[in-house]
Amino acid sequence: MDPALLNEIITLESVLDEMDYFQILKIKQSAFASEIKQAYFNQSRVFHPDKFYNEPPDVLEKANKIFKRLAEAYNVLSDNDKRVAYTKSIAGADRKKYLRYDPKLIEQAKAGGQKEDEGQTPMGKKYYQMAKNSMLNKDYNSAKINLQLAAKMEPANQTFKRKLAEVDEIIKLKKQQKVGG
Amino acid sequence: MAKIIGIDLGTTNSVVAILEGGEPKVIANEEGGRTTPSVVGFSKDGERLVGQIAKRQAITNPENTVYSIKRFMGRRFSEVTQEIKRVPFKVEEKGGDVRVNVKGKLYSPPEISAMILQKLKKAAEDYLGEEVKEAVITVPAYFNDSQRNATKAAGEIAGLEVLRIINEPTAAALAYGFGRGLQQKIAVYDLGGGTFDISILEIGNDVFEVISTAGDMYLGGDDFDDRLIDYMAEKFMKDHDLDLRTERHALQRMKDAAEKAKIDLSENLETRINLPGIITKDGKAYDLDFTMNRNYFGQMVHDLIQRTFKVCDEALQNAHLTVGEIDALIMVGGPTKMPIIREAVKSYFFKEPKADIDPEQVVSLGAAIQASSLVESTAGALLLDVTPMSLGIETAGNLMDTLIERNTPIPTEHSRVFTTIRDNQPGVKISVFQGEERFCKDNEPLGEFRLEIPPAPKGDPQIEVTFEIDANGIVNVTARDVKTNKARSVQLNVSGGLSKEEIEKLKKRHQGDEAVATFKPKHLLE
Repeated sequence: MDPALLNEIITLESVLDEMDYFQILKIKQSAFASEIKQAYFNQSRVFHPDKFYNEPPDVLEKANKIFKRLAEAYNVLSDNDKRVAYTKSIAGADRKKYLRYDPKLIEQAKAGGQKEDEGQTPMGKKYYQMAKNSMLNKDYNSAKINLQLAAKMEPANQTFKRKLAEVDEIIKLKKQQKVGG
Repeated sequence: MAKIIGIDLGTTNSVVAILEGGEPKVIANEEGGRTTPSVVGFSKDGERLVGQIAKRQAITNPENTVYSIKRFMGRRFSEVTQEIKRVPFKVEEKGGDVRVNVKGKLYSPPEISAMILQKLKKAAEDYLGEEVKEAVITVPAYFNDSQRNATKAAGEIAGLEVLRIINEPTAAALAYGFGRGLQQKIAVYDLGGGTFDISILEIGNDVFEVISTAGDMYLGGDDFDDRLIDYMAEKFMKDHDLDLRTERHALQRMKDAAEKAKIDLSENLETRINLPGIITKDGKAYDLDFTMNRNYFGQMVHDLIQRTFKVCDEALQNAHLTVGEIDALIMVGGPTKMPIIREAVKSYFFKEPKADIDPEQVVSLGAAIQASSLVESTAGALLLDVTPMSLGIETAGNLMDTLIERNTPIPTEHSRVFTTIRDNQPGVKISVFQGEERFCKDNEPLGEFRLEIPPAPKGDPQIEVTFEIDANGIVNVTARDVKTNKARSVQLNVSGGLSKEEIEKLKKRHQGDEAVATFKPKHLLE
């Protein structure tokens, strides 16, 4: 086995828990979806455990660990919703805590320790539920309209404001990707 | 270097292949057939028959002829009540597991599969002139953990080290794209004898990425045969008020006739089904004789074909793709040779299927390519496959808490920290499931395990449990005490499977009394 590659595996495996998904895939935070896929393919060609099938068990195990993290990174970054939430979470002061995607942790952080406010008025509640359904169906344009309506009903509701900002971000990213292919 | 074989272990037919001079090649069996019927027969004088010979004696010896064993692999007895009705051999329960009873002797499904594998192993050894010890075996993409484990056990019983279990549609994609430097998104429509799979892949030169996969475990070519059998039986019932399905010999003859008619209708627009003396009642012999045309058969199976398209919709949706974005369509499995299926699939995908692919052999070719990619690991093709089903654990109210979502690239892992809710709680029970339903009772149980926890105040113990899905799609569970950092392995109490000891015992038994297992060089090749 190539000593340089062996060295790279040992080093990479040892610092894996300190790297974010962009660093693991060796891409910029602004990368297009196609670049993310390309990076995943390229890195897999090097680190997939099948490429070390006949190497000693400890090397194979290290490659296995690296690939699992690569796949995890790809899985999160190739999903727009997860990518937006993840990118935001690693930008803060608590960066270290969020290096691996955990939806529960992110939800907590976004609410800033506060509980989700599902609305205080009947119409506010209704529009917010409709927005949530649209988000589940990945229909962000109607989610945006429903959130705007909900926010009009309850201008002071922090949850509505936060969700609206999130949806805006996702729509922006989608537009960008259409341009980028 | 020792050769590793690739095996497509099918519901109806099985195929073995190797990579020779960079090209995958199917190896013919002793009788010269490139496909071997997945049939095991036990003749009247106790001789074991496998393949074409076993199939040939099925009509005269139905209760001692075992076929479609793949439908029983890795399943609990309670899950196969429908399957039992359609086979003429005896299926019994043993501790919740499935056993086939032949002349009073009980066989587990992996044992029967091992007999088929041994025949293929021997075919490869005769061809190569050396012993073969290792294999890559394919399974339907939608096989769950128990079914994959059972397949691996079958290989071991047959004396083969199973280097990898790979998915059939992925193998087909590999055979299609290997060494061609393609940049494509492809759909693999795989209708086998007993199962249906659809996989959407992206090929980037030598990397084969499965984007999504979906399937129906209970839909295959056999169901098309069954429609014909039902039609025959009902027609006969109307004419003579006799139920042919209750009589083993008659059922076997109808099955045979249905399969022939199905194949015949691929070539001709019309076929005659003629079974003289199908049943004798009160000393009078009755005949079954009628003509079936292709259009009518098409109507009979229309809903079955439509069911496959529902699954295709699901796979495309999960891949975030439309049919227009698919560059190539590959059809796999014997039943896809039927014109009624080909035409329907063509119009669903708006695309001609790739013509130069043999739907019955392509999977084994892919298995052989993967086998060689593992040996010469630095070059070769790279498969990035996914897990077809979500993996989760049971929480309060029988709700499924998903840990690993379906279509996640494998190998993958997910950790979860467990603690106690009562003081001095002795342990926690964790039940593992696979499936997409909200309630665990609607998903497939993979087994359960108990974590012993040292006495402590509630909420104090921290046991990190790691669920791993390996490259074979097989689930492994390990537990670690966060405080002491002591790891322990957890035995997932696999349902319907065989223990390591049982496999070892069966391996000895099958290789001891089996002449086929010991290799004798044979230099004369036909």
